[in-house]
Amino acid sequence: MYSLSTSPPHRVAVTAVGIVSPLGVGIEETVPALRAGHDGVSPVTAFDVTRTRCKTAGLVDLAKVRDRLDLERARRNRPRHPASLMMMTAAQEVRRGDPGFEPELFVIGTTSGGMSFGEAFYRAQVEKRRPHTRAAWLANYLPQKPVLEAQGMWSSAAPSQIIANACASGTNAVGHAFRLVRGGQQRRVLCGGYDAISEMVFVGFDSLQASTPEMIRPFDKARTGLVLGEGAALLALEELGDAQKRGAPILAEITGYGISTDNHHLTQPHPSGIGPRQAMERALADALRTPGDVDYINAHGTATVFNDATEGTAIADLFGDRVAVSSTKSMMGHALGAAGAIEAAFSVLALEHQFLPPNIHLREPDPTWRLNIVANTSREASVRCVVSNSFGFGGTNATIVLEKV
Amino acid sequence: MPSNSTGQTSRICGLGWVTPLGADLDEVWARLGRGDVAEPRVITNPETGRDLVYAPVPPKTVEALGRNPRLRRSSAISYFAVAAGLAAVQNAGVCLTPEAAARTAIVFAISSGGVIYTRKFYEQIVKQGANCASPMLFPETVYNAPASHLAAQFGIDGASYTLVSDCTVGFSALQFATQLLATGDLDRVVVVGTEECDWILCEAYRDWRFARRPGGSRGALLAEGAAAVVLGRDGDLELTAHPGAPVFRQKDADAALQRIHADLVPGGTVNLVVGGANGSFADAIERRALLEQFPQTTQYHPKQALGEALGASALIQVVVAALALRKGAIPGGNERRMDSALVTTLGYNQQAGGALLRRLD
Repeated sequence: MYSLSTSPPHRVAVTAVGIVSPLGVGIEETVPALRAGHDGVSPVTAFDVTRTRCKTAGLVDLAKVRDRLDLERARRNRPRHPASLMMMTAAQEVRRGDPGFEPELFVIGTTSGGMSFGEAFYRAQVEKRRPHTRAAWLANYLPQKPVLEAQGMWSSAAPSQIIANACASGTNAVGHAFRLVRGGQQRRVLCGGYDAISEMVFVGFDSLQASTPEMIRPFDKARTGLVLGEGAALLALEELGDAQKRGAPILAEITGYGISTDNHHLTQPHPSGIGPRQAMERALADALRTPGDVDYINAHGTATVFNDATEGTAIADLFGDRVAVSSTKSMMGHALGAAGAIEAAFSVLALEHQFLPPNIHLREPDPTWRLNIVANTSREASVRCVVSNSFGFGGTNATIVLEKV
Repeated sequence: MPSNSTGQTSRICGLGWVTPLGADLDEVWARLGRGDVAEPRVITNPETGRDLVYAPVPPKTVEALGRNPRLRRSSAISYFAVAAGLAAVQNAGVCLTPEAAARTAIVFAISSGGVIYTRKFYEQIVKQGANCASPMLFPETVYNAPASHLAAQFGIDGASYTLVSDCTVGFSALQFATQLLATGDLDRVVVVGTEECDWILCEAYRDWRFARRPGGSRGALLAEGAAAVVLGRDGDLELTAHPGAPVFRQKDADAALQRIHADLVPGGTVNLVVGGANGSFADAIERRALLEQFPQTTQYHPKQALGEALGASALIQVVVAALALRKGAIPGGNERRMDSALVTTLGYNQQAGGALLRRLD
């Protein structure tokens, strides 16, 4: 039988982070961009947006990603999906950040895998073309391919688990990996998430009128919706004692994880905010923390009317207006399956560098709730405990708690 | 074993499925025993005129699944999943009261997901323009839509996960479920694999030289359907799911499979192998591995009758193995006591996986 954990839980350290987002390739670019409140949203040019309401997204500089990838020529020229390039670059940064980290398991979140290659395959059918690249399209369409490419950076034959829980996928991946290490089921897990912009998903959010033709303004009274983003982030998790013994860098500690499912509707949260509230309550209880212990909340904050209404209500009910809150999606859009992982990485950076990333484009906070929003400019602060939220289609909600060691 | 949690086991306490041969456990078993095979359906790629083939769940079976208000806008994949999940919970004899639901989680295994709505939605974008794409279709295209519908049926407000990969993903889901059970927060996990077919999926896999052509015998017969296994603390069968292994080069596939087999059956003795042979390139590799490690062991390959149901197929194999151990026979075979069954698959996209089932009585 599976053994129920009876020994004291292990502490779980984050020993390295790798990040590729519209705010930069790597931590060195990301920290100043977060501090400066950089706006990483730009016009979409990869596909036709003349007939969509929204025309912008948070886009990764793929040319820079290719430049940074340290691969021998043969591997460099292999056809790859942008998601693979981003995952490989994030993996490379983790390797450089903690060269001694050898993952036993990969737990990765995504929502759409290599969707744009599936689109290319469909268009080829319509246009009655059979290009040579279609074999690569098919192999790279499946969601495990970017994970395999990242594994290749370690030449690792470790197994992988790929979670597709819509927009909560990244946080679910980090949370599940945390639970495995804390429970002693694994010693070292590489976790995170990825997603790359695709036309199908872009139009999907547009068709639901969830995306906006304007700026993304989380928690603003006049918010009109989200813009999509893309990126990848990876976090190296290891049992704290093991990491300390080998002299690994200890960037932060993950202390809690909460998951809830809101069965109200496939795409709309219950108006009471019960789903987000349960996820946060469960994460805090898991971390043996109270709302008063938390210094900063990296909110899901998509800037849709429904999400911010329910999340704002849940945060206000649970934390009042003491805790600083921001949605970093205001700077880079919503990277779907990567969002939770990227925001976990941002939370680690906030703990490490002692600042609060801003919620940009805020003009007038929604008066429905009183929140302590980090409005428009970052703040220097003493940050010891952070909550990071992700909520998704299917009513899936996930929250993690991160702390300074 | 390659990871700390690999050796952990759980108990099988409920089974359910929806297959091209029906949705009742005993009825499908009897049909397998009679040598029935899934009836292929020929469809045409409307863009190129090329004929394609797959094994559907028959309309009669779909009608018998009944209507469900929550699923009124859903695609077939969610119908199959909910039907298999509900059947497995019923088979387990569990009444999901709010208290029981609070200690129940869901883990889904999916490879292609909601391809019918995904293709229709993208077709609207390409042929009618982005402003004509229906918002009714898009939500059902997400991988976790079937899991969401089943969670709503059960009233589960806790853990619900959807895992994605190739046809080995069912083993990952079983191992994931065992990891969840080990936290002590749960009494049971309902593990469901589900898949639907569409011409674009058949075209892609045929183009990839994985799926067979109409009338052909080489390549896999793609199939749709679902299978569900309830894992918990009680049950007559113990399950050990392997976390799997990536296969970076095809020449390494034999070794990856053999390593998984050796991890699961360290003594090298098992009564039955439920294999993943489906007519594709992977068969020869799996055959070599099994011949070397289990030359005398009885083998049964359910995909030869039920087709290759992608994300659902590993769980269909597990259901077959569980029924075989309980009945003491493979479909159509003579009864004899069997204590253990190895379930194994080499996936079509660089994964290998497996599980071991043992009788506990």
